[in-house]
This record gives sequence, structure tokens and C-alpha cells, in this order.
Amino acid sequence: MDLPALGNCVTSLSCIITQSTSGLIIGMLLFLVAAGVSLIFGVLKVVNFAHGSFYMLGAYLTLTVYGVTGSFLLAVVAAAIGVGLFGLLFERLIISRVYGSQVLMQLLVCYGVILILDDLVKIIWGAEFRSLGMPDVFLKPPFLFGGGVVPVYYLFLIVLTLIIAVLLGLAITKTRLGKIVRAVAVNPGMVSALGINTGLVYAGVFLLGGMLAGLAGALAAPVRSIVSGMGLSVVVESFIVTVIGGMGSVAGALVGSLLIGLVRSFGTIGFPLFTEGLMFLLMAVVLVLKPSGLFGRET
Amino acid sequence: MLKIEHLSKSFGGVAAMSDVSLDFPAGSLTAVIGPNGAGKTTFFNLITGALKPDKGNILLEGENIAGLSTPDIVRRGIGRAFQIASIFPSLTVRESMLAAVNAHRGQHAGLGGRFPIAAAEDRAQAVMEMVGLSAKADMVSRYLSHGDHKLLDIALALVLEPRVLLLDEPTAGMGPEERWQRIDTVHRLWEREKMTLVFIERDMDIVFKIAQSIRVLSYGKVLAQGTPDEIRRHPAVIEAYLGTEYVAGHA
Amino acid sequence: MMKSSFLRDCLIALAAFAILAVLPFVYPSRGMSDFVIRLAAFGIFATSLNLLVGYAGLESFGHGLFFGLGAYTFALTMQKLGTSIPVAFALTILLSVVVACVVGAICVRLKEIYFAFLTLAFQMLLHSLIIAWTPLTGGDQGLTGGVPRPPFLGIRLDQPYHLYLFCGGLLVLCLLLMRHIVQSPFGYTLRMIRDNPARATFLGVQVWRMRLAAFVIAGAFGSIGGMVMSLFVSGAFPDFAYWTISGEAIFMIMLGGTTVFFGPLAGAIMLLMLNDAVTKLTEHYGLVLGIIILMFALGLRKGFMDYLAEWWRGRQMSSVAAPAATQARPLPAQPVKVAGE
Repeated sequence: MDLPALGNCVTSLSCIITQSTSGLIIGMLLFLVAAGVSLIFGVLKVVNFAHGSFYMLGAYLTLTVYGVTGSFLLAVVAAAIGVGLFGLLFERLIISRVYGSQVLMQLLVCYGVILILDDLVKIIWGAEFRSLGMPDVFLKPPFLFGGGVVPVYYLFLIVLTLIIAVLLGLAITKTRLGKIVRAVAVNPGMVSALGINTGLVYAGVFLLGGMLAGLAGALAAPVRSIVSGMGLSVVVESFIVTVIGGMGSVAGALVGSLLIGLVRSFGTIGFPLFTEGLMFLLMAVVLVLKPSGLFGRET
Repeated sequence: MLKIEHLSKSFGGVAAMSDVSLDFPAGSLTAVIGPNGAGKTTFFNLITGALKPDKGNILLEGENIAGLSTPDIVRRGIGRAFQIASIFPSLTVRESMLAAVNAHRGQHAGLGGRFPIAAAEDRAQAVMEMVGLSAKADMVSRYLSHGDHKLLDIALALVLEPRVLLLDEPTAGMGPEERWQRIDTVHRLWEREKMTLVFIERDMDIVFKIAQSIRVLSYGKVLAQGTPDEIRRHPAVIEAYLGTEYVAGHA
Repeated sequence: MMKSSFLRDCLIALAAFAILAVLPFVYPSRGMSDFVIRLAAFGIFATSLNLLVGYAGLESFGHGLFFGLGAYTFALTMQKLGTSIPVAFALTILLSVVVACVVGAICVRLKEIYFAFLTLAFQMLLHSLIIAWTPLTGGDQGLTGGVPRPPFLGIRLDQPYHLYLFCGGLLVLCLLLMRHIVQSPFGYTLRMIRDNPARATFLGVQVWRMRLAAFVIAGAFGSIGGMVMSLFVSGAFPDFAYWTISGEAIFMIMLGGTTVFFGPLAGAIMLLMLNDAVTKLTEHYGLVLGIIILMFALGLRKGFMDYLAEWWRGRQMSSVAAPAATQARPLPAQPVKVAGE
């Protein structure tokens, strides 16, 4: 524990700004993954433990497409679409077969998929750490706010994901499709009796969740090292986020992700050995005080 | 025996039970009736601690049990069977009985001996005979018929030697013939065991045939109470619940 | 229903121990004795997980917490405190019980998916502590330098045969104890709770206390599995606390069967043999294992011993011309409606 260092940081504006932005990008990337986990759980009552592998796939796809075309934009779009389609296939071919099974059977299936993907990634891209490097567009002098350094890419990432968060929230609450999704979450039998194809909704949710995870992986590629197995900590953190924010709530996922991001970035200064412990502590506190999560409805 | 005073419960501002006061004398056989959504099952849930009352007292032989946990209430002598039979699907009938006896006697956490405890077998056997399940003792509960599921559910409650037995629609989902058999069984149990029996029932013929007295709930309130004859003539009941048709048919 | 007898189980255990004792003389092989020791570690561990999954209906995804905790606590106690092996065993079990009480008290009241993931989260927490606390644990390199094996009661664990027999004996003893637990009145209370916790509550059972007790018992046995592993490798590694340990144990019990007491042991034997075969054939262990898991989960869906038990029951049933009982796994119990009408 290093409380003096934490004290120094929170009394210095530049340190606060630097740590906050780094916490925000951790949080925003996490949000993209967690929103998918949360939506899938909300609608299907299945925790997609393989969602972290979707994120990993997104990063690797970006690596390849960027390497071939040199266009970061193209790479991001390709990763989102590619992983979205993968999510669709995963739902149709694999996870749909264990709906209604024991939780452990569903987790076992995801475990199998994770093992396969982690190994496939090693076979295709190699076992060593890879990095994308910062795309040229973003190689500009960083912004300075009150002595804090904020790289251009960070700002881009935060703004982009915020826009996505708002769009996603609007789509869920305002559009007809969003209403169907929410209705399926509450009462699938009734919705299917009304002539809506629930199977299509399920597949659609996985497509969307996959796209978001692929996007997260793509956006993470310039600032993270890319390695087989990188998805696991992300999916566990996503679960923590959904517990904190409330299952199935987009706003909850956003707030939960940002909380986790800030805890991580400031935690590394004050409690370098116990950063992960802080997240679990935060989750335990929420579970005790409000078991349904900050934005969750009581069931 | 069981006395309810000013019992109230609301869910998110909607009153499910408001100021209900009822008395169930020792050894009585009482039917609780009321239209759908009247709060009959909620009433049972409140008595057994599955829901916590917002207000009011539940007196079991003078002791206020309102607010206690379900196991604590059960141990004081209130047994309950459910509208949808609540059983242990993968245990045999006998195993279910024996495990319930252990729970009732506080021996269910024992690690010393082996299951079954010899002392539990007589009681288990006795209850199975009481309800007529001994021939199916070694069947896995899941494979019993619907009617036997309901019977097993009642048997589980009986293991507790309840002073008050609450039956939530003991004849739900049965054909007419089976219904009357079941009611006959229940009636004989009540006579033999001399307990206070409260049952929820939708079939009015059954209610008026066997109940000593009737309590009518409607929208979480007591609409009427009295003997079957009184209830039959009660104007509010006729209007709100039984409907003109029934009165015409049975007057 | 036949009352299972403790005496009979003891005799079977003795016979199994005797067979294990003479096996190396009949079939002297380093590979075989290593296999038995690893089987002891994973057999105890998987069976302890099945106390939760198969008997109490608690689907833990973080049981590896206790495997890792057992291995590290034992190895560290031996290295740093220099105690005798029985004392280190006792201390490790004690610590596991304490940890299980705390983790269990938080987790056992939660709904199933929350329970699964929160247990996993606690395991990840241990794993990250092990990685971060390098001065004590050796970090991601693992705890090296060897675990001392001082002789006790005439048992010299530095000798291969003694180590083999000690671990084999532990396996037999732990299985005997766990078998006794599931056949005790408490074991049947767990079955009630697994089938229908709400009904158990209405019979006067304090469900969460029983679940907590099961969680603590399973945690204690799980840590013994970790200790055996630590003895075997003479150290402890972060992998012992990694989530894949839990994943493998889950696969073991699913593969072997959750409805039969020896299912997890059978699953452990199958998965260990499979592991050995696959690692010999290919370096893409994860790929092959993943495909096997998918084939199992999407194809067979039930464990080996489950099928065996069904076949056996089916035979008995057909011989008395009773309705065929084909399924042993409990269906999700009818939910008891408690909230309103």
C-alpha cells in the first residue's frame, strides 16, 4: 500500500487529470464489452463467458487488417463486423444448444470455446505479445489540461465510445427493436406468442454484443499489448461491471465501467498490489447494499 | 389458535393486503375463498413468513409470529402445502418423508450417522399411511402422478405435526372424481389429527360441502366471513364474487 | 431403500488401499505412480466440487480458489515455518475453512449465476494476489526452492513409494469421508435443498446455513487436493489458482457424472488420461481439449457414470416391470411462488 503516493496524486491537478483520462479509457473500453455481456444476460439469461474472446478476436483482426491495408478506420470496421458475425455464428451453432441447461453446462461450453480460440490465435498470430502501434492519424502532440497530459487518441476513444453509449441507450429505450428486446427479456413466451421470432432476437443480441466487443478489441489495439488469453480478465471485469450496474442496464454498464476504470487507474498508485482486490471489494459492497445493482430493478 | 390482526402488505405502493383481521379457532376447518387476485396466496405467504408483513400481528396461540423467518414459523407448528405441488423430484417418497422428519426434529444437519435415522422411520411410515402413499414409497417422486404430487406435498407438511395446516388449493388441476376423493382424504385427516385446517379452494361445491366456516377475501380485504349458510346469503359476496348465476343455480 | 453401511464402505476403502499398496510391486512404473498421485489431487478436488454441484446444487465456478490456497499455504508453511507435515496439513485446512466461511457467507445467498461468478471472482483475486505478492509467493514464476518433506510417524515422503502410498491413502480416506457425508442426514438435507430450496425452508431448514456448511466442507477437501499437488511438484504455481483449474474440475465432474458418487473420480481418471494422450500427440492442447469439451457438451450432455447408472436402473426397473426411470438428474424444481398471486 502506498497511501502517500495516492495523497500526492489527488492533491495535484495534473496527476488527477492524467489518471482520470487513463481510468476513463479503461472504463470506456470495458463498457463496450460489458454492455454486450449485460444485454446478452438481460435477454437470454446466459452469461457469455466467451465474450472476452470476442474482444481478443477484435484486437487480432485489427492487427491483421491494419497491417494489410494501413487504414485504422477500415481495421476497426472490419473488426466490429467480423466479430459481430462470429458472435452470430457462436449463438446459432453453439450456445443456443445449451439454453435452459445448468449454468455450469453453459460455462463449460464457453470454456471449450475459449480454449479453442486462445489456441487458434496462437497458431495464426503466434504466442508472443503483439502490438499495433499508434496509427499515424493520432501521432500528434498531446493535449495539456492543467498540467495533465492527454494523448489525442485517448480523447478520440472517450468521445467515440460516449457517442456509442448514448446511441445504444437510445436504441434500447426508444426504438421498436429496443422495445422488443426488452420485452423478450421480461417475457419471452408472451413475445413469441405475439408473432415475434425470439430466435431472431437472440441472434441479433449476440450480433450486437459481438460487434461491440470487436469494436472494443479494435480500439484497444493501439494502447494494449495483444496476446492470447487477453480476454479473460476483461470478461471477469465485465461481469463485475454488470453486477455493480445491474444486469441488462446500459446506463448501469456505463457507470459500472467508469467506476472500475477509475478504481483501476487510481488504485495502481495507492494499492499497486491490491488493484484487483479493490474491484472485488467494490462489487461486494454493491452486492451487500443493493443486490440488484445500482441501476437494476428489484426482482 | 391462529388470530390475524390488522395485517397489511403492499408491493411498490399497491396494497395486496389491507387491514385484514381474521380468527381461526382451534380445531376448525375453514375455507378461504375469493376471486382471482384477491390475495389468498399472499395471505398464506404472509402467515408463513415467505413475505414480511408491513403491519399487523399474526398470533399463533397468543404468540406473535409476524416478522419471523419461515423456518422459525414452521418450527412453531404451521405446515403448508402449495398450489403447485412443491416436492423433491429426485428423492423417493420415503426419502422425502425421512428427510422431512429429520428437518422437523432438528436432526437434518447431523454428520455422525447414516441416513435414514432409524428413529425417523416410524413417523415417515405413519404419515405415508395417513395419506395413502405407502404403496409408492420407493418411487422417485418425479414419476408420481399429478395427484400424488399434491398428496406428497401435503404429506411433507403433515410430517411437521402442524397445529395449523394451510392447504393452497389441494384439488387444483384434478378431475372431478379425483377432487372429491382428495377432499375426502383431507377431511378425514382433519378429523383424525384434530388440527386447525385452513384451505384455499376455487370449487364452490367443495367449499360449501365441507367447510365449517368461510372467509371471503377480495382485493386484499375481508369481504365477509361466517358459516356456509351465512356466506351463501351474504349480499356483498353474491354481488362481488359468486355472481347471480351461482345464486340462481343453488338457491 | 437400502441403508448404506459405514462398515461396508470402510471395507471397500481398505481393499482399495491394499490394491494401491501392492500395485507398484505388480506393475512397477514411474508413470503409473505419478498418475495415481495426480489422480489423488484431482480426484479429491473434483469430488469435493461435486459435493457442491451434484449434492447441494451450488454451481461454483471458483472452486480452484481452494486448490490454489491449499497448495500455496501448505508449501509456504513447510518452507517458511519448517513445521512437520501433519501440522502444515492442519494449518492449511484451518485457513481454508476460515476463507471458505468468509467467501461462503458472501456467496451462498446469491442466485446461481451470481454465485458462479462471484466464486470465480474470489479465485481471480487469489490468483492476482499470488502474482503480485512476489516476495512471498515467487510471483508468476511460482514458489520454487522445493517443499521440505521431513519424516513423520515413520512415513518418509522423500521416498517415492512412501509419497505414492501417502497420496493414494489420502485419496481413499477423503473419498471415504466425503462418501460418509453425502450418505449422512446432512447429505440428504443437501439433496432436498438442491431439488427445492423453498420447500426445504418450509420444512424448517435454514437453507443458507446448510449451504454454507457444504461450501466450507467442500473448501476444506478442495484444499487437500491442492496440498497433494504441492507435495507432488514440490512447490506451488499460479496455475493452481488460475480459473482453468476450476474449468477442468467442472469438466471432470460433468464428464464422469454428477449424479453418482464416483462420477467425479471417473471423470478425473478420464480427463487425466486424455490430457496425457493429447499432450503427447500435439502441442495444441487447448484446441483439442476445447473441441472435446464441445463435443461432450453439445453431444453427450451427461456424464459417463450417469449413463451407467441409468442403464442399471433401467434394467432393474424393467425386471420388475415398473415404469421406466430414465433420468437421474433432478429437473429444476417447481418454483414456489412466494410473491403475490
